[in-house]
Amino acid sequence: MHDADQVPSPPSIEGYLARLEVALHGADPALAHDALIDAEEHLQAAVRRGVPVDQAIAEFGEVDEIAAAYRGLPADPAGKPQETSHRAVDPPRIDGSPRGAPSAVLATPVQAPAPRLRDVPIVGIWFDSRAWGALLYFGGVGFIVATACFIWAVTLGGLAVGLLPTLLGLPVLVLLLGSARALCLVEGAVVQALLGVRMPRRVQPVHGVADVGFWQRIWCWLKDVRSWLSLGYLYANFPVSVALFVVTITMSALSVAMITGPLLQAANLPFVTLSSDVDRVQYLWTELKPAADGTIRLPMSLALSSVGLGLVLATITLWTMRGLGWVYGHVVQAIQVARPQASLPHR
Amino acid sequence: MASPLHDRLNRDLSTGTSWLVVLAVIARSDEPIHGYEIARQLADEAPDGMSFKQGTLYPMLRSMETDGLVRSTLVPSTEGPARKCFTLTAEGRRVLASWAESWRASSRWVNRVLGETDARR
Repeated sequence: MHDADQVPSPPSIEGYLARLEVALHGADPALAHDALIDAEEHLQAAVRRGVPVDQAIAEFGEVDEIAAAYRGLPADPAGKPQETSHRAVDPPRIDGSPRGAPSAVLATPVQAPAPRLRDVPIVGIWFDSRAWGALLYFGGVGFIVATACFIWAVTLGGLAVGLLPTLLGLPVLVLLLGSARALCLVEGAVVQALLGVRMPRRVQPVHGVADVGFWQRIWCWLKDVRSWLSLGYLYANFPVSVALFVVTITMSALSVAMITGPLLQAANLPFVTLSSDVDRVQYLWTELKPAADGTIRLPMSLALSSVGLGLVLATITLWTMRGLGWVYGHVVQAIQVARPQASLPHR
Repeated sequence: MASPLHDRLNRDLSTGTSWLVVLAVIARSDEPIHGYEIARQLADEAPDGMSFKQGTLYPMLRSMETDGLVRSTLVPSTEGPARKCFTLTAEGRRVLASWAESWRASSRWVNRVLGETDARR
């Protein structure tokens, strides 16, 4: 065994961050990212002001204590804390006052939170903004963004590979990598807004810092694995987005048609108009015969069944969107939210 | 040496007043203030036995931001990475005023009771 294994190494910011990362193992990646960024910023600020590293770390807190404090935060702004057993900075209030408020000496009655429509079992999904956000994302916004990013990445990627034998391909490759990082930032912001999965990223290198020059910035892009991950994401995300778009549009269109068709009929508008050469059509479990003008009228029982089944299918669609949004958002988070890298050497 | 019960009071006071004093430090700053600066000011002004782990300040600030009490902005720094600095929102100012009044009322009440206790000694 080496001596180095027996003698504890002096405390360092990197070592502290590594231990904090271990303590946050299994936590939401965005939460861990926040914790590491906060710790790094604080400790570097302390060291720059002349505080010895060991003192700065001691004042900052033990990694387990800090990790517990972060785990007490909601994984997403509207969600519940990851764990509720340790609320180091935010204890439950006995008087119902806002979190962190000074304890009121004269306690007021505890007010139960008002029930939310989205908490109603099964049908509460109709009032869940995340489900509608996912529907909007998979049914349009995400598909458009993914397609645009794919076209950009394929065009620039093809140009870069084609020109690589000449040196002109290198700047195109750098442009591709830089744009991939920027596009993933935009994509992440859209995912965060519509799917509700937090996507904190540190923009590196930091703009406005005098000693990070143009070439250093380029070098950072090239050696940062996230640049290449971002580029791969732009390519791989396209087929996934197409598949999700097809599923979303199919389920949505079917439910909307089943609900609105009978309603249109009730308003004396034709449910479906067929060409004259079709003499029979199957709708649900009933075979229907078109009228002479090609229109189809549903019997009342079938119309009511259609609306009911349409509502069930729409509910299933919203739950599917909610689930797909959660999975997709966390996959994107796992790809794009990486462990923050120390951005500047310590002075 | 402080007894465990004495420590317990300090711990409870520290926990119960942490949000209040953090909001107050942000409120009295003329410009957006960084977490480290908040921690340093709190540490400098804290009475004996009321120290806190500075790292717990950041999840607190994030909770405050989620609750709409503070707003964070990235401020470029010549010393290193752009730093996340905090300012109070209008809601934060309103909550701070309300909590400060609660604190003063509680403080007056405790002082009055303690005064009566001292008078009987």
